[in-house]
Formats: sequence, structure tokens, C-alpha cells
Amino acid sequence: MDALLTVSGVVKEFPGVRALDGVDLEVLAGEVHCLLGQNGAGKSTLIKVLSGAHRADSGEVRWQGAPVAFGTPVAALRAGLATIYQELDLVDGLTVAENVFLGHEPATLGFSRRGAMNDATRVLLDRLGHPGIRPTREVGSLSAAGKQVVSMARALSHHARLIVMDEPSAVLDSGEVANLFRVIRQLTADGVAVVYISHRLDEIRQIGDRVTVLKDGRTVAVGLPADTPTPEVVRLMTGRNVEYAFPRATAAPAGATEILRVEGLSRRGEFQDVSFSVHSGEIVGLAGLVGSGRSEILETVYGARKADAGTVTVDGKALRSGSVRAAIRAGLGLAPEERKSQGLLLHEPVFQNVSVSSLGRFSRGGFVQRGRELAEAARVAEQLDVRPADPKRVVRTLSGGNQQKVVLARWLLRGCRLLILDEPTRGVDVGARTEIYRLVRDLADSGVGVLLVSSEIPEVLGLSDRVLVVREGRVVHAGPADEIDESAVLDLVMEGAVA
Amino acid sequence: MTDRTEAPAAVEVPPADEQGRVEQAASATASPRLGGRLSEVRNLGLVGVLVILAIVGVATTDGAFLTRSNLLNILVSASIIGVVTVGMTFVIIGGGIDLSVGALVALSSVWATTLATQDYGPVVMVLCALLVGMGAGLVNGVLIAYGRLVAFIVTLAMLVSARGLAQSLSDRRTQLVTVDAINDIATTEVLGIPLLVYLFAAVIAVGWVVLNRTTFGRRTFAVGGNPEAARLAGIDVRRHTALLYVVSGLCCGIAAVMIMARTTTGSSTHGDLYELDAIAAVIIGGTLLTGGRGTLIGSILGVLVFTTITNLFVLNNLPTEVQNIAKGLIIVAAVLLQRRSRASSP
Amino acid sequence: MTDLRPAGFDRRRFLAVGGVVGAGALLAACTSNDTGEATNDNSQVATGSNDNAAPGTKVTIGFSGPQSDHGWIAAISKNAADSAKRFSDVTFEPVEATNEVTRQISSVETLIDKKVGALVILPFDGKALTAVARKAMDAGIPVVNLDREFDTPQAYRTLIKGDNYGMGVAAATYIGEQMKSKGVANPVIVEIAGIDSLQLTQDRSRGFAETLAKYGFNVTARQAAQFTVESGQQVTANLLQAQRKIDAVWNHDDDQGVGVLAAINQANRSEFIMVGGAGSANAMRLIKEDKGVLKATVTYSPSMASSAISLARLIAQNKGLSDLVEKQVPKSITLASETITKENVDQYLSLGFES
Repeated sequence: MDALLTVSGVVKEFPGVRALDGVDLEVLAGEVHCLLGQNGAGKSTLIKVLSGAHRADSGEVRWQGAPVAFGTPVAALRAGLATIYQELDLVDGLTVAENVFLGHEPATLGFSRRGAMNDATRVLLDRLGHPGIRPTREVGSLSAAGKQVVSMARALSHHARLIVMDEPSAVLDSGEVANLFRVIRQLTADGVAVVYISHRLDEIRQIGDRVTVLKDGRTVAVGLPADTPTPEVVRLMTGRNVEYAFPRATAAPAGATEILRVEGLSRRGEFQDVSFSVHSGEIVGLAGLVGSGRSEILETVYGARKADAGTVTVDGKALRSGSVRAAIRAGLGLAPEERKSQGLLLHEPVFQNVSVSSLGRFSRGGFVQRGRELAEAARVAEQLDVRPADPKRVVRTLSGGNQQKVVLARWLLRGCRLLILDEPTRGVDVGARTEIYRLVRDLADSGVGVLLVSSEIPEVLGLSDRVLVVREGRVVHAGPADEIDESAVLDLVMEGAVA
Repeated sequence: MTDRTEAPAAVEVPPADEQGRVEQAASATASPRLGGRLSEVRNLGLVGVLVILAIVGVATTDGAFLTRSNLLNILVSASIIGVVTVGMTFVIIGGGIDLSVGALVALSSVWATTLATQDYGPVVMVLCALLVGMGAGLVNGVLIAYGRLVAFIVTLAMLVSARGLAQSLSDRRTQLVTVDAINDIATTEVLGIPLLVYLFAAVIAVGWVVLNRTTFGRRTFAVGGNPEAARLAGIDVRRHTALLYVVSGLCCGIAAVMIMARTTTGSSTHGDLYELDAIAAVIIGGTLLTGGRGTLIGSILGVLVFTTITNLFVLNNLPTEVQNIAKGLIIVAAVLLQRRSRASSP
Repeated sequence: MTDLRPAGFDRRRFLAVGGVVGAGALLAACTSNDTGEATNDNSQVATGSNDNAAPGTKVTIGFSGPQSDHGWIAAISKNAADSAKRFSDVTFEPVEATNEVTRQISSVETLIDKKVGALVILPFDGKALTAVARKAMDAGIPVVNLDREFDTPQAYRTLIKGDNYGMGVAAATYIGEQMKSKGVANPVIVEIAGIDSLQLTQDRSRGFAETLAKYGFNVTARQAAQFTVESGQQVTANLLQAQRKIDAVWNHDDDQGVGVLAAINQANRSEFIMVGGAGSANAMRLIKEDKGVLKATVTYSPSMASSAISLARLIAQNKGLSDLVEKQVPKSITLASETITKENVDQYLSLGFES
């Protein structure tokens, strides 16, 4: 069989990050080709290069034998390469048929031929094994699975030869996943190729024909058979080239006072019965996949979400559930996952971002004492080495690592007891990461407790003293960080049991 | 198209997405304090518009424009809508909108000029106007912040019902102010400048200080710029939002006292379309409708531009319909001019 | 969690609650507009001392008018109701006032369905309500068309209206005579009109300009306000800047005139004479006092609503106007616009409406 798509030596560089560093991929017509890799391995960037959203810096992409460079997603779609993202890009207010033919409606003299459109949509839905979805139904009223089918119908309406699916099973329950697989088999039987991205090895074994593994922007295995044993796949995924320097704890946190105690914390549909504690000077890491409930746990501890059951106790006092202000008053601080949308006032200068949680301290009778505010904020920013060292600089213009330092500086200035870090190094380049790790460890050494979440397992293991592994809303493992290794954690988050 | 494909990238390389790169490139050339400069440039644009209007005024009105009394007249005319605009600026920077301002001016003026209120004398009348404004603002604020309703809808409802209440209180009649102390506010001059102008200046000064020098002002920018970040940083976003509408209501109350003095009446027709004038002034003054950024001085310049346009047209005895057309054109021109000066600035 | 202070001792909260309660009490005390005097009984209704005043067959009169904040319209509704009360044989059936044409149409239809004896309609828009008025006439219900005229005479039994052109004529005549007697050769005459898009405003201005021309004068500056006090004030404040010396001002409407006078007062101007329009009680009192610039007003009296009710009753009872020879009420009556000055103000005071 001829290769439908061949990718060789593709490189894509962003400032500070070499996201793709020589990727190879070969997809045959009619196969399900699985793409595996940890967070940050380059999967999403590769998809974007394929779909025309990004342009490769170097390397070659051949489509049906001829070299191509899709300038836009539309060009890729026209050529027969469709991509279905996790966040489905459908218009909720339009009907199924209107979504399927959005942008290429069958029309005569500008009048859309609704009948023809509905008929054609019905044919496509039949082909996907979902004749139950009415073409005239509003897309907003469909389930996530239904929407996925509509996205696939849209891909087919463009006569797609290759459909890329980015973690399609993440939003589906097991029954719906089985249905999805049925649809995929239907497609491949018609000669359509599917590139399937998932974290779940069991799924890959069920549906995949071949597997390509990415790691740190490179291909480490091309076209392995799908039944390659799990330990082998995990080894490929975890063997690292880049090693970050993690500072070790200077002293064992034995005998330290307990700062945070979480007992039986639950939120319906998100996580159940979560209990743990954090001592002063200790870093506790939560490992888990996106959607496992780890970020939700952090936000509930912080009061940004209201718990259905369970208690959060800080220094022996129970926190009022669902109150951020109560949490902050008790000494908690959060560096949120989405730094730009949740953490920073992007258009304000550094010092105002640092002082925002301590404004009361710099005001007298409601008037801000700007001089003191600026001096104090600048002092903390300097202590954390925020660069450039201009406290009046607008935060938007700082790099990711320095933006993260600004958020840390905010809580350092406030003098918090427990720091909650959600993905502290997301969007932070390699050099700055080590700095952030150093800062977090220094903070812990000064007696602050740290609660950390990261998708990058080495980060959780390297930085934490203790590790909790979360899967599907439950803590499946808790123990010292140096007693478990990366592949064991990976097994836990993906399979739910130590292999 | 690019937007939709941009989103999933966040999972892997968010700092390194294209936007970040553009921003970094921009920051390399532009001043790091872009935000501050930008608003100054916008204001300069408006000052330019004012200068052009003044030149037109001098050229077309045979000396009537550039007289002390006419310039004071412009300031007095601007004072009432100007005070309302100060409140509106707070609300919009805080990420909201207040469509009820005109109706609140009407309601406050009517409530403060009923025969019963006038019997109590000028102090109670003023107090009454301020309390009605703040009270209605509080209702707006509580419904928006704690009832989690959309500001547009809540204040629209307030617009309708406050005017209705004003009509029912006044029985649709114009209530004459017979208390001289109130009417004197409009005729008193100190050092040759009308008291209303001092009042206007005082409201601007207090507004500026609160917005730029107090924790309240700082939090207003934070709440409007990024409510989620403000909440996670420990700001009581809901209480602050509610207070913003109280500030707007208070400004309406002050404006009501001024309009009572200036027209010697309280009426449910007062403050007609103030909401549009105030919002337009805030927007051409460079404040973002989405909140988080803006200047009070820009809003005031916006008010002055509008008032000067009206003055110019009456001085030239042009009919109303021409006025309206020209006003619309000048709004667009002012905004275009601002964008121009922004683009050409370093 | 162990807050030792009882809730009642939270001083700040206590003061805040106290303040809110106090403010509420104050505001509640401030809503009344009761003068404490008996309501003035100088209502503008027919005194009815002739045969026609004697009770006849029972009549239900339906009334529909536009909604407005304007004192004049308010007076129209009040006069209609007061007038109906005077007749023991009349049942008054008003419908909700509205400024929405479609709603006025449907409320008139309701009255038709109720089979009222006669209809008095002041349409928000004469053209838009013509059809429904014809429908009433076709159904045998006589329609008295009040002030704003329907498109076709078939839509009403009787039309009673004011004279907008005549108002302009009266104002111009007064100003013309005054200027002549003062010997002002080239007077600066300023006109402050009402809402410019209305036909009635244009008629008034036409009458004003055409009559002034007979004296060899013309309007130096003309600006339109919105019939509201605030707009009157705004426009006048600017106009006074434009015209450093004025000889005469005609303001179309005494309601907005309150604002016009406030602006004149605030600018300390008094070198000119001013003529008002419509004839509000407030304007008449000022004319009687004779202390300010307001020297006269030309009427456009809402008393026509009282007359309209009387006419509707007579039509329904098949009677004529007793002082006329004809057995039937005339098809159309146009009220003259009268000029009220200090000399004759006393006889008009009872007709003035409170703005």
C-alpha cells in the first residue's frame, strides 16, 4: 500500500522552545495510526503543522506522494485532510446539516438548497452509522458524542481521505467510545485513514493498527505494531533527553507542623473522597491526566469551587467552603493553571500585579501609598529575579517564566502559608523552568507548604516530597516521591493499577 | 479560522504560540509602558478634536464662540452630563454598563422636588436626590453582582421602571422648584465662575483621585480587566461590582440636583438619552467597552467635544437634523483620528 | 470560627443597617405631592346652564389619547375625565394611554367591541388611526376627533382642534405690534420651536414667519427643543450666547418654557420681551406678576378635551349646539388661538393648565 501521508524531519520552533525537533510519520490509506506521547512531546504542534495552522520551519510533508505545505486549515481541508479537535468547532445555534456544510453550502444563485443539504447530510450520517441524528436538529442539543459524529460528517463532506482525531475519547463514556470505534472501523473500511491521539493504551490496542511515539519533539518509534507490550511503549515515552535539575529538599520535613488537611473532599462528577495533608516546608504533588479532577481538587481547596462534601482545614481551622477570600485570609495562595486568563491583570504593570492581593497593607483610609507599594513590590520582584527588572513594565510584555514569577511574587509579598501551584511551568521555557523549581523549593525551605499539580510526571516526581496520583477523580496512590518512578506513575494514570 | 486552530495548542506550547511571539516582538520596539502612553495619545487625539472645533467656532461665529461667557456656558452645559459620565466611566472600566443613568437622573429629580420634599427644605432635597440615586444604583448592583444577571438587562429594566416611577410620582407633570437655595445653585457665581462648574470640577477631581489613587480604583481596573484573576487574587469581585453601580447612582443623584437647579424643575423627562451620551463620551474618551482600561480625563474630554458641537451648531443657527447628522459623523471621525494617532505613535 | 462578639455588637453593620432604614424612611416621606389644599375646582369644563345640560338618554363615551409626560396632554386627559363627571347621563370609559400606534388601535377596537355610545379620540398619529376610526363610524359609533386630524372626514363625525398656524399668527402679531410701538426698526427675533419633526411645529413656525413678514420682520434665529424643560433650557442657554442682543423671543410651548425662562434668568438677560405658547397656568401667573420677560402667551388650550366630551354627548343624544340654529353639532370646530396678556390674564387664569 502507498503512503497517504509522509512526514519527514519536520522541525517547528517557537521562541524558547523547539516544539518539533525532527518528526517522522507515515500514514497508510485505510489504517488507524495512533500517535502517542506525553504532554509536551509535540503531538498538538504536529497536528497543527499537518492541518495548516502552523508552518513547519524545515522538513517535508508529502500528501499522496507530492510535497505540500498547507498554508491554511481550509487548504488542508480542501486537499482532503480534516482535523477534529477536542474542543469541537461547531456552531451550537445551527442545525446538524448547516454545520456539516458550513462554508460550502450547496446553493443556487446564493440561495442555499436546504433539501439537498439535508439529504446529503442524512447520507453521511448513515455512512457513519448514526441514522438516528436528524439533519434538522440543532447541534447545541446534541451530546458530546453526537457532536463528534457531526464533526466527522463534516470531514466526510469535504471528501476527507485522512481524519486526525485529537483525544476523541476524552469527552466520551465507555458506551460512546465503543460506538466511536465502530464509526472509525466503518471509515477505514472505506479507505479513509485515521490518525488517532489518545493517552489510553487500552484503546490504542483495541482500535489501532500502528503506533508512532513522540518524545520531546522527536519521533522515537515509527509505525510500531499496536500490540507492542505496555512496558515497551512506556519506556519509549519516558526515556528523556532533557533532564531538568531538580533541587532536592535540604532537610527532611519530619516533625514539621501540618498546615493543610483535606478530608473526604468531594464534588459530584469531578472527584470523590479526596484526603491528604501538607506540612510546612513540604511539597506535595498531584499527578494525573487532564480531566482526572486534579485541577478541580486544587480549586476546591482554594475556595474557587464549593465542595459537596468534606472539609479543608488550615492550621487547625476549618475553611468556609467556596470562599476564596476565606482561603486567602487563612494564608493560601494560588498560581492558577491559565496564567493569562486567571492569574494576571495583563494590561497592568508588574508592581500592581504583585501588590493586588496585599493592597490593604499599602493603603491608608482607602488611599494607596504608591511609593511604599512600588518599593515593596519591586523588592519582592527583585528577590524572585523577575526580568526585565522594571516593576512598571506591563505584564503582558513579559515572558511566560517571568509572568509566573510575578504570580509567585504576589503570594510571597502577602506572606502566604500554603502555595497552590497549578501547572507552574506551563508555557515556561527550558531555562526558566529550573529557576522556577529553585524558587518553589526555596519557598518550601522557608516554611511554606506547597501543593503542586502538573501534567509532566517528571516534574511532579522531581519537585515533590510526596506524590498523590489521581485517576478519574480518585486518589489511587499516595507516597514519598522517591519511592515511585515515572513509568509506574504513567501506568497508574493510564491504567489505574501498577503494571 | 486561525482562532479555532489556536485553541488546542494551549495544551502543549502556550507561551510559544504565535500571539506570544507577536507580543514579544512588539515589546521589543514599543515602550514597555505601552498602556499608559496609549491612553495619553488617545486623549491627545481628543484635545486635537477640541482644537479643531474651536477653530471652526472662531471662524464661523463672528466672535460669539470665543467669549468668556460662551466658554463658561459650554462648561456649564457639560457639567450635568459630565457628572453622569464620571459614574459611567467607573462602571465601564469595571467591566459593566449602566443604561439607567438618564432615568435615575429623572427619578432623583422628581423625588427630590415633590411638594413633600420641598417642604423639608434644600438639605433634605439634596439628600433625597443622592439617596434615590444611590438606592437605585444599589438595586442595579445587587441584581448584577449577587443575582448574576446581565448588566445590560438589569439596567435596561431599571431604565424603564425608574422612568415609570418618576412619571407616577410626578403624575407626569413638571414639578417647579420653589426653594430658592436650590435654584441659586445655577445662578451663583464664585470669582466669576458659576457654581455648577466648580461642582463639575469637584466631581472630576474626586473621581480621578478615587480611580487612580485608592484601592477602590485599583480594584476597579482589576475587576474590569480580569474578573477571574481578581477573584483568585482575593478581591471581593461581587461586592466591588455592586459598589460601582452605587457610584454611578450617586453621580446621577448629584446630576439630578444640578439639573433641578438649572431647569428650576424636577421632571420625569429629565436626563433623556443621557445613557447614550455618557456611553459615547466614555468610548470616544478611550475607555474599552470590555472594561479594565480607560481614563477619566478622556471621558471628560469626550463630554466637552459633544457639548462644544451642540454649542457650535446653535451659534450657527443650524437646524436640529443637521446637528444630529454631524454629531454622528464627528463621533466616527474622533475615533478614527484617535486610531490614526495611535498607529503613528512609537 | 469562634467569634466572641455577639452579632448585635457589630458597630459597622449596626450603623449601616440603621442608615439604610433611616434613608428609607426619609425617602418614603418624600413621595407626596399633595398640596394639602382642596383640589382646585377651576376645571375647564362647560358650565352648562342651558337646556342641553339637562340629563338626557344615558351615554357611554369612550376616550383614547396618547401617553405623554407633557403637561398639555396630561391636562387633556384630566379635562376629559372631569368634564364627563359633570354629566349625570355620561359614563366615561377611558382606555390606557399609549404612545404606540398599534396599541392605541387595539384599545380603540376594544371600545368598539364594547359598543360605546360615542368615541373621543386624540390619536398619537392621525394617519395611522384613520382606519380604526372609520371602522367605528361604520359600526355606527360617532367619533369626535380631538386635535390631531384623521386622514379623511369619513373617519369622524366632528373634528375639534386647535389652530397651530393661528398660534404663530397670534404670536407674530403681538411681537410685531410691540416692536412697532417701540419703534424698533430691525428687531432681533428668536424662535424656540418644539419637536421639529411634528406637523404642528411646522405649522406654528409657518404662521409665525409669514405674519412677521407682513411687518417687514424676519426670524433671526430658530432652534428646536423637545417640549421638555431640560431641552428648553439647553437650547436657550446656547442661543443666548449666539445673540448678544435680542428684541423678542417666541417659545412654542409653555412646558419647555420653564427651562427657557430658567436659562434666561441664569444668563441675567432681560432686554427683550418673550411670548409663550399653549397657555399654562404657570405662564399666566408670570404674565400677571409682570416681573420677568414673559409678557404674553398664545393659547392652544387643552380645554378642547372638555368640549369634545360635551360634543360627543350631544351627538349621541342627537342634540345640536343650543346657541346655533342647526339641529346638529357642526362637522368641525377650530378653536381660535387667543393672546393672553397682563390686561386679560384674569379671565383666562381658570383655563390655564398646570404643567
